[in-house]
Amino acid sequence: MRRIAPLVVVLVVLMMAAPAPAQAPNRLIVQSQAEPPGLDMTATPATATSGIVFYNVQEGLVKVDRHGKLVPWLAERWHTSDNRNYTFFLKKGVRFHNGRELKAADVKYAFERAMNPETKHPYAKDYESIGDIIVKDDSTVTFALKSVNASFLQNVARSGSVIYPREAVETMKSAPIGTGPFRFEEWVRGDRIVLVRNPDYHVKGLPKLEHVTFRFITDPNAVLAALKAGDIDVSLFGLGPEHVQEVQKDPRFQVIVGDTTNDVILAMNNSHKPYSDVRVRRAMTYGINKHDVLKGAMFGLGKVLGTNVDPLNPYYVDMSNAMPYDPAKAKQLLAEAGYPNGFDTALKVSPQYYYTVRSAEVIADNLKKVGVRVKIEQIEWGQWLSRVFREADYDLTIIGHAEAWDIKNYANPKYYFRYDSAKFQELFAKSETTVDDKARRDLYLQMQKLMVEDAPVVWLFMHPRLAVAKKGLQGFWKDLPVSAADLSEVAWTPTK
Amino acid sequence: MRRYVARRVAALVATLFVVSALVFVVVRVLPGDPAAIIMGTEGSREALERLRHSMGLDRPLTVQYVEWMGGALRGDLGRSLQYDLPVGTLIASRLTVTVPLALMAALFMVAAAIPLGLYAATHHRRAGDYVTMVLSQIGISIPQFWAGLLLILVFSVSLGWVRSGGFDGWSSGAGAALRSLLLPAIALGLFQAAVLVRATRSAVLDVLGEDYVRTARAKGVSERRVLTRHTLRNALIPIVTVAGVQLGQLLAGAIVLESVFALPGLGRLALGAISARDLPVVQGVALFIASTIVVINFAVDLAYSVLDPRIRYE
Repeated sequence: MRRIAPLVVVLVVLMMAAPAPAQAPNRLIVQSQAEPPGLDMTATPATATSGIVFYNVQEGLVKVDRHGKLVPWLAERWHTSDNRNYTFFLKKGVRFHNGRELKAADVKYAFERAMNPETKHPYAKDYESIGDIIVKDDSTVTFALKSVNASFLQNVARSGSVIYPREAVETMKSAPIGTGPFRFEEWVRGDRIVLVRNPDYHVKGLPKLEHVTFRFITDPNAVLAALKAGDIDVSLFGLGPEHVQEVQKDPRFQVIVGDTTNDVILAMNNSHKPYSDVRVRRAMTYGINKHDVLKGAMFGLGKVLGTNVDPLNPYYVDMSNAMPYDPAKAKQLLAEAGYPNGFDTALKVSPQYYYTVRSAEVIADNLKKVGVRVKIEQIEWGQWLSRVFREADYDLTIIGHAEAWDIKNYANPKYYFRYDSAKFQELFAKSETTVDDKARRDLYLQMQKLMVEDAPVVWLFMHPRLAVAKKGLQGFWKDLPVSAADLSEVAWTPTK
Repeated sequence: MRRYVARRVAALVATLFVVSALVFVVVRVLPGDPAAIIMGTEGSREALERLRHSMGLDRPLTVQYVEWMGGALRGDLGRSLQYDLPVGTLIASRLTVTVPLALMAALFMVAAAIPLGLYAATHHRRAGDYVTMVLSQIGISIPQFWAGLLLILVFSVSLGWVRSGGFDGWSSGAGAALRSLLLPAIALGLFQAAVLVRATRSAVLDVLGEDYVRTARAKGVSERRVLTRHTLRNALIPIVTVAGVQLGQLLAGAIVLESVFALPGLGRLALGAISARDLPVVQGVALFIASTIVVINFAVDLAYSVLDPRIRYE
C-alpha cells in the first residue's frame, strides 16, 4: 500500500500536466441543455430537437428570419391570386446532403406524409386545410387549400414542415438529412451531436463554420465552469439570469439578451371555483405585481406582458399596463365575488424550469396581501405534464409557452386553461380566415383587448433570450422569433 | 463450497426477479407518461394517443411485464424510447465510461484510505490520529457534487490543467480519456475514502490489541512486519466488507458526478431516462446495477475464505 500511494500521486500529476488541446478556428462548441429525444422534427415537437436540427440541418420552403419576418427560402418565391391556391417556385440547384437535387415531388411527399395520420406528425392539424398538392414541374408546386387559411404560410415555415429526401425518411430519427448549411455527422448518445459544413449549401458564402459540436450539459454550474475553462464557446440556453450577471463581469464573454416568443403565465383553471368567476381572475391580475415577479425570477431581464401576444409578434400591442398592480382593487373585486376574506389555493410548479418556482414565491407573497393564501406545490415535470397539462387537475400553475402564434390555445376550451369564450373563439376563427393584413391586425387587437378583459390567465413576463458566447464570435440571432439556433452566419472575427 | 456457491447463485436469481418486478411496478406507478413528456406542451391529444400506441403503452401492465421479462431472460432488455436503440447496447456503451470511472475511484479510495487508516491506528490518540479523523470527517461531510465543482474550479477554470467535463471516447486515445475521468474519479473516490479510513482505523485498532500482536512484538518481529503481516491481514475482513458496500455506492455516486462533469456514463443515462420516463432504460439500468451489487456482495463473501483460510462455507 505504501508503495502504491506515491505512484498514484505521480500518475495524477502526469495526467494533469499534459497540455490541453488548443481551440481550432472555424470550429464551434455549443452547449445544449437537453439531449434531444430523436432528431426527426416530423415526429417530435421537442425544442431540444429543433434547437439543433432546424435551420442547421433541415429547412423549409419558407423561413422565419431573425427579425421574425417570413422570407422565401427553398422556394425562391411564392404566388397566390385568391388566397386559396399557393404556388411555390423552388430555388434551382438546391441539393440534399446525400447529393440528390431537391425537386417539387419531394415537397409534395413531405407534406402528404405530414398530413397522413399514420405518420404521427405532432402538428398534423396544421395541414388540415390543405386539399391537394399539385406538382407542375420539377421546380413548381401548388397547394390547393380547402378554405382560406391565414396561418398557411406560417405553417409552411414550421419546424415540422421541413423538406427531406424520401429515401432518408427511415433514418431521420437518428441521422437527419436535409438541405441545411450543415450536414449531420454523428450523435454520441449522452455526450454530443456533431455537424459539419455543407460545401454545396445553396446560399453562397454560408455557412462560415466548418465544424459544430453540440455538447449536452444540463447542470448550470457545470455550464458556467465549462465556459470559463474554455471547453465550450457558447451557451445558447440553460443559463439563468444570475449566471448571466456573473459572466457579464468577465471580459472574455459577451452576453446576448433578446426577445423570445416564450410567454410565462400564471394559468388558472377557469372551469373550477373560484376561477370560473371573471372578477376573481381580474383580482388575481390586479393583485400581482408583475415587475416584482420579473425582478425576483429574472433579475429584471425580460419584459412584462399584458396578453399572450408577445413583443415579437407583428400584431403585438403593449397591454402590460392595461391592468396595473392595484391590491385595493383586487380586494374589492374579491369581496364582490363573495370572497371578502380571500381563499386558499394551490399553485403547482415544476422545478424543471427554475423561473416557475421563483415566480411562484413572489406571487404567493403578493397575493397574501389581498387575502389569497397560496400553497406552493413543487411537482416533477413528468407529473406536471400528466396532471396539470393533460388532465387540468390544478388550481394555479406557472409555465412558459414558447410557441409563436399560440393564442389559438385560448380558442380551445379543452386546453388546460379551460377558458371557454364563444366571443374569443369566433374572433380567432375569423382571424384564421382573414388574409388582409389590416383586417387581421384589427382582429388581433380585439382579441388582445378581450384577453385583458376576461383575464383567463395572468400573463407575467416574456422570458428573455439569454445566451453567453466567447468574445470574437459574431452572427448569432439576438431575438428568437422561432425555436431554432441558426448557426449559418456565426463566425469567429478575423482578428482572433 | 460448491453447494454454498449454488445456493448463493439461486438466491441471486431470486433477488433479481424481485428487483425486476419492483422496478417495473415502481416506474409505472410514478405519475408521468413517457409519451406526454416527449410531446411536452405541444401536439394534440390525438397525436399523444398515437404516440402512446406506437410505444406500446396502451397495453395491459401484465402483458408488458411478461414481454419485458421474457426478453430480459433472452438477454434483450428492450428498446430505448428516447434513443430508439437496444437498451443493452446503450448500457454497454455507457459502461466504457462508468466502469473505468468507478475503478479509478476505487483505486483512489484504497490508495488513500488504507495507508491513512493504518497511520491513524498506529498513532492512536496522538496528533496524527486526530488530524486524520478530522480530515475524514470533512471528507464525509462534503457533498460529492460540491467536491466535483470545487475540483473543476481549481484544476480546470483556474489552472487549466484538465477540461471541465465531457468525454471524447476511447477512440481519441487512452491518455485523453483517462484525463477526462480524473477529476470525477477523485471527487468520487475521496468521499468513499473518508468512510474507509474510519473502518480501517477501527479494524486495525481492534487487531493491534490482540494477544498475537503482542506476542509477535515480543518475539522481536519488526514493527513494519507486525503491521503488514499480522495486523493488516487480520483486519482486512471488516475492511473488505465496507469496501464492498462502497463499490456499490460508487455506482450511485457516479449518477451525480457524471452530471456535474457531463460524462456519458451509466448514471447520466439513468438520470436522463428517469426524467424522460424512458421506462425500458430505467428498468434495464436498475436491473443491471442491482445485479452488479449482488455480484459484488457475492465476491466479497468468497473473498473472506481467501483472506482467512479458517473460514469454510458448508
